[in-house]
Amino acid sequence: MDPRSLFELGDSPVPQTPRSRGVDPRSLFELGDSPVPQTPARAEWIRALLEPGLRSPDLAPGSPSCEVYNGRVRASRPRLFVALDAASVSGGAVARSGDGYRFASHARMALPAGALAPSPFAANLARPAEVADALRELARELSVGAAPACLLLPDGVARLALVDVPADVTAQQYARFRIVPGLPYPAGEAVIDVMPLGPGRAVVAAVRRSIVEEYEAAAMRAGITQDRLDLTPLAAIAGLLREPGPRGGLTVDVVLGDAALCLAAHEAGTLRVLRNRRRDPGPDEARRLAEEVERTAVLAGDGAGTRIRVVGPGARGLLTSWRSRGGSAEPGWRSAGPANGVDAAELPWLGGAAG
Amino acid sequence: MSPERDFSSRPRSRRARPLDLGLLALGVAAVLLSGHAAVAAWSARARARARVDQTRRETEEAQSRARGLEGRPEPAEALAYRGLLTAEASPPRVLADLTALMPSDVRLDAVTLSYGEPLGVQVDVVARTASSYDLFLDRLQRSPLFASVLPGEENRDGELRTSIQMAYRPPGAR
Repeated sequence: MDPRSLFELGDSPVPQTPRSRGVDPRSLFELGDSPVPQTPARAEWIRALLEPGLRSPDLAPGSPSCEVYNGRVRASRPRLFVALDAASVSGGAVARSGDGYRFASHARMALPAGALAPSPFAANLARPAEVADALRELARELSVGAAPACLLLPDGVARLALVDVPADVTAQQYARFRIVPGLPYPAGEAVIDVMPLGPGRAVVAAVRRSIVEEYEAAAMRAGITQDRLDLTPLAAIAGLLREPGPRGGLTVDVVLGDAALCLAAHEAGTLRVLRNRRRDPGPDEARRLAEEVERTAVLAGDGAGTRIRVVGPGARGLLTSWRSRGGSAEPGWRSAGPANGVDAAELPWLGGAAG
Repeated sequence: MSPERDFSSRPRSRRARPLDLGLLALGVAAVLLSGHAAVAAWSARARARARVDQTRRETEEAQSRARGLEGRPEPAEALAYRGLLTAEASPPRVLADLTALMPSDVRLDAVTLSYGEPLGVQVDVVARTASSYDLFLDRLQRSPLFASVLPGEENRDGELRTSIQMAYRPPGAR
């Protein structure tokens, strides 16, 4: 088997499936009813990529296939992600290499409208069975088997804050002090974790436990083995901060979700401002978001010459709209090599593979 | 930035990675090594303590012997010399040598022998005439058997009475 079919995302036209939107995952792996039928050997290939210690015979050390594989994903091992948002569930096994993200697998399943509504305190899964069905279909398309996946919750479910952490407390302790009093639910229900940004600085996040349990239950119902649970905006910001851009200039990253968005302004790798807003995808969203970017840049202390990057669902359309009005912005990240229709900038959770 | 954020309601125990296992093995090896080092150090301490105790005992024994030797009334050399004096300067011999030097009109009232180094002799002398006494004193001073002749105060009221201190030097000790 040619390992390029895993990474260069075969170029044979494959019919779209009714439930997928955007790219068909089978076109990535030639699985399902594609011209090359799925065989146990191919499933073993996928499994070998996802589970450390398992190795397909074709990936034997020293073999040409192994050399191609090592050369292309030398920077990191593919890790499996499953992300949920209001409009879809998506995921895949992704590795980060020097020139972008490489997909070992990818799939996306649309959700019926209203099945999932991200909220920080109300129940998110209005129709859990439909969400679980979409997740089950996603898992089947990805052939994940029992491989543990990182579950990513959508933007809009967590309270986020950028804090300066005093030297005599941990970021976790300080997060409880700063965030918990303002939460619209009892403190004991908050699940808190942090994203350290360096000495004395961190992004802290709190999610209501009952909401976390909703998503975990859906994943379990779909047969997905949960490894850990992260927040898509944090994963995206973490990935974007790993490539802060040219020194000396301010960068504003726009991380879009279906229901909310984050704006992160940073300079020389130092996060200066983090804003979290509900999204209102109306006809003039591009203009309003441009104003939000400008406000964020001003809050960060520099309103001019700002570099703007965008990731998340709708990123491509937003970039097109801004460019048509003379603005300059760029996608937050790209696929490494041919992506066969997968637009990496539309997948904010890819940042999770950068770690 | 940590890639290990976990907002799970019940964080899962993660499967050990090769790095984790390596670190665990390293930690176990370090514990074993430190345990071995601790046991070795403990044994060395016990051996050192035993050596200290032995040295202390030997020191105490040596000090005890030294104290014993210091407590003896006379050193061994003195004892040997006294033995020699006793053998070669017995009281009859000393008295005989002394009387051999005495003129006829000189007599001894008392003789005291102090055995030591040298053998001290003190005699109380009664001489009928002063010239006899002078002659006796002269003979003592010339005799090789007697040394350090020291005459005492003389009483020349009638008979001459005095005492003389001297040291007897037996022939073998010279």
